[in-house]
Amino acid sequence: MAKITVDGQQYEVDPKLTVIQAAAQQGIEIPHFCWHPKLSVAGNCRMCLVEIEKMPKLAIACATQVADGMVVKTKSEKVINAREAVMEFLLINHPLDCPICDEAGECKLQDYSYKYSVGYSRFEHDKVHKPKRIELGPRVMLDVERCIMCSRCVRFSDEIAKQPVLTFTQRGDHVVLTTFPDTQLDNPYSMNVIELCPVGALTSRDFRFKSRVWEMSSTESVCNGCARGCNTNIWVRNNEVLRLTPRFNDDVNSYWMCDEGRLNTFKFVNSEKRLSGPFVKKNGALTRVGWDEAIAEAVSQLKTFKKSEMAGIGSAYATNEDNYVFQRLMKETIGTKNVDVVPHVKEGDEDDILIRADKTPNMLGATEVGVKPADGGLSLKGILQGIADGGIKALYVLEDDIASIPEIAAVLPNLQLLIVHSSVQNKTTEMADVVFSCSTYAEKHGTLTNFQGRVQRIRPAVSTIEQDRALDGFSMSRWDKFASRNDRWGRPNKRDARPSWRIASAVASALGAKTRYNTAEDVFQEMATRIPAYKGLSYLKVGSRGAMIQHSSKTVSSRPTVSV
Amino acid sequence: MENIILPNIPDLHKIDVYELHGGYKALRKALEMKPEEVTDEVKKSNLRGRGGACFPTGLKWTFMPKQTMKPKYLCVNGDESEPGTFKDRQIFEFNPHLLIEGTLIACYAMGIHTAYIYIRGEYGKWVKMMEKALADAYAKRYVGTQILGTGFSTEIVIHKGAGAYICGEESALMNSLEGERGYPRVKPPFPAQVGVWGCPTTINNVETISNVPHIINNGWEWYSKIGAPKHPGPILVGVSGHVNKPGVYEMPTGVPLLDIINKYAGGVIDGKSIKAVIPGGSSTPILRGDQLDGVCMDADSMKAAGSAVGTAGVIVMDEDTDLIQVLTRIAKFYYHESCGQCTPCREGTGWLWKIMKKFERSEARKEDIDLLLDIANNVEGNTICALGDAAAWPIQAMLRRFRDEFEKRVKPEIVRVETGAVA
Ligand SMILES: Cc1cc2nc3c(=O)[nH]c(=O)nc-3n(C[C@H](O)[C@H](O)[C@H](O)COP(=O)(O)O)c2cc1C
Ligand code: SF4
Ligand code: SF4
Repeated sequence: MAKITVDGQQYEVDPKLTVIQAAAQQGIEIPHFCWHPKLSVAGNCRMCLVEIEKMPKLAIACATQVADGMVVKTKSEKVINAREAVMEFLLINHPLDCPICDEAGECKLQDYSYKYSVGYSRFEHDKVHKPKRIELGPRVMLDVERCIMCSRCVRFSDEIAKQPVLTFTQRGDHVVLTTFPDTQLDNPYSMNVIELCPVGALTSRDFRFKSRVWEMSSTESVCNGCARGCNTNIWVRNNEVLRLTPRFNDDVNSYWMCDEGRLNTFKFVNSEKRLSGPFVKKNGALTRVGWDEAIAEAVSQLKTFKKSEMAGIGSAYATNEDNYVFQRLMKETIGTKNVDVVPHVKEGDEDDILIRADKTPNMLGATEVGVKPADGGLSLKGILQGIADGGIKALYVLEDDIASIPEIAAVLPNLQLLIVHSSVQNKTTEMADVVFSCSTYAEKHGTLTNFQGRVQRIRPAVSTIEQDRALDGFSMSRWDKFASRNDRWGRPNKRDARPSWRIASAVASALGAKTRYNTAEDVFQEMATRIPAYKGLSYLKVGSRGAMIQHSSKTVSSRPTVSV
Repeated sequence: MENIILPNIPDLHKIDVYELHGGYKALRKALEMKPEEVTDEVKKSNLRGRGGACFPTGLKWTFMPKQTMKPKYLCVNGDESEPGTFKDRQIFEFNPHLLIEGTLIACYAMGIHTAYIYIRGEYGKWVKMMEKALADAYAKRYVGTQILGTGFSTEIVIHKGAGAYICGEESALMNSLEGERGYPRVKPPFPAQVGVWGCPTTINNVETISNVPHIINNGWEWYSKIGAPKHPGPILVGVSGHVNKPGVYEMPTGVPLLDIINKYAGGVIDGKSIKAVIPGGSSTPILRGDQLDGVCMDADSMKAAGSAVGTAGVIVMDEDTDLIQVLTRIAKFYYHESCGQCTPCREGTGWLWKIMKKFERSEARKEDIDLLLDIANNVEGNTICALGDAAAWPIQAMLRRFRDEFEKRVKPEIVRVETGAVA
């Protein structure tokens, strides 16, 4: 251990650390642009200059290793002057187009301008002009005038995404970020450079000009694109999801997420195909009905089958809570042993960064909470065979468009009863007799268990008709707080949907079950007492970063394999 | 003292002529010594680098790790791009084998088996001359495997730069050699730990290395008595500007600047008086013409006078010189050559030049004088490499020594006079 002094306070730190790392560990932020905990040290922005006793010049905290007895000053006059100078330099050629820049509101340069800059400029010349609106790749746009040459994007592409296509050309204040000839920034992780970029030089082509940052609320969530379960934030304006961004979790996804998960796992939440309210098939057509009627219809139909004639398919997309209540409904209330889940694996579509071949976020969770055949019950194969043979006559499906798989679609017409939970209209709902419109992962509380066995929480970011952002403790944007009913953005589009655990629980009650749950957390608490792997867990323990289950499954690697 | 780096021997660039005049004898002698003894000899000679910083050469060599599994490298720095400096070129042209011999001895001393001679891209002619000399040296087996029948082997590779001043900065030079963009590296780690290809590396200037054979031939005591005791040896001084005989002159260190100008370079054109002298290449602080008495071409004397030896490129400016124009041109050079990596230099060099242009056009305001100094101070010492300093020093020195020149270029303020009458 090395004893160091920072701004008069003594600390004992690991001697292998740099000053900026040691300070960060003690909760002291030394301002910086180019330094990033997961990238190599570039030392180019000069924002982290600090005074170190016995050193002739100011030193950059990012590249200076701590030493026993080192005395660091991060707030001395010399340091403050140097910082103000760096800020002034950074801003002289910057376009200062914050009013039309997507980054405004979450821009390091803007934030630091308020915090560390004098607030005026002594520069009275023409600014250097550089290329704008450059398509760096299919998903990322570049404005070189805003670039501060921190090289974070270059280092990310080289070191993390392993696609070294970015470089600088020209010299001095004419330096231009660009791609090498005949290459583009199109790796599966390319969009991470957008958050890495401390300014608005790199923007998302999907999100560009969609919203000011402060108009959106941001809610901690988990990506449902694959079994990695990257931690995310869901950004919502006027009850519409506008973007996902990665959220740091060193045990799961570091600071990153893949482009596929970022772009293609939220649009269905806003989709035109969303179901609002339950449907029952009447005279061959799905007809919108009330919840009570739909539940009564489902119950009365279910009662006409023998236990062995019924089967349930849980969902690797739904939460642990949904699956848990569902399997209780199937096994305990309805009394069938035939329960399983459909896997969705894309062989080969994986890498050793984040992407997993299992394209569901909760396969492990679903089976851990009991979505698997009871002793003597039929597995998925058996259930499908049973439907084909006519032995299985009624099927209850949780949040999975199973009819999009041709082998399954082929047997479904044999069924006499198909009950489906779905948030969107799809091939399976078209074949169903009863459809319950359920909340998406962006509209409910719950947990998902990733391939490592890490239980992670999701939270509602979009509200359904039953919810109120303020009363139900949602994250609130400026608009959410200040809009009135006459404002366009004060009348959001809300859907009539309920979390699957509540629907399943209501069906179970209608069938005579005693247990009732008021919240997803109630469900989780029961899981924690009944399922050994969840023993001792609670929402509090799961927190923002997740918690490991004591899993029984052999398919799980207990150590995180993410190496980024 | 007779010239030893650039002796007046016709055709010395030819290997037979070089051999006839004792060439490659020092190599033979060195190979009979222990490598540590060679380093020790250089250390005791007090040879100091001729690449700008006057760093003790022998000491630098001792920074190279002795026990290492990695290969070690020598880079001979012939990027020579500092305005006012054109002395290494003379060695390439007139005494290339001295450089090759020195390179070989340095390699032997440090246990190096690959040396790169990095020559600035614009020196096409001199690259060819060096290549010819090297081919001859290879043919005579001075370079390559089992040199002179000993167990010692070294390859020498000539690398042509692509035309950037910054690639003379030692760590940018290494990046450039590796095929990377010529960006200086953050130090530490220093090249002796992590240099070319991540391996221990020493970088020395062309002229520095060319001193080594003489030290080995004649011994450190002989060498250390040449010129100024603390900064001894012969030095190549390039004189340019308003002198009758501009050129490169070899002399012992410690020669008075006025002698350099008047005795070596034939005095100022038309007998005019000297307004200012930049003594060591464009980055070194300018001296006033009336400050030159007693200032000599060695590290201590220059330091005492508030300047530096740098690369001994003496730029002489007569009484009619527009120093603001000179400084504007210098500022433009550093702006043009800033690699653009680190914030203060990337942004500051351009800003300094833009303000200097205002002075040049006599459109500056009074406040611009202080602004100029403030920007230069904000660049100096806060950058990755010394180019930032090199850009700041000339401005700081000019403001210190010729403030009146700036004041003369301030645009008179237009004062609005209220007449009281309304038309
Ligand atoms: C911007 C910049 C340019 C430089 N250019 C040269 C050069 O052209 N030739 C040179 O020998 N040294 C140059 N140097 C100095 C080198 O970094 C290095 O100190 C020198 O080559 C060491 O040689 P020496 O110890 O023999 O003097 C430059 C330094 C800087 C900061
Ligand atoms: S584009 Fe952004 S991340 Fe990349 S170098 Fe410029 S400022 Fe840094
Ligand atoms: S000081 Fe100038 S030349 Fe040196 S690294 Fe910084 S920007 Fe490049």
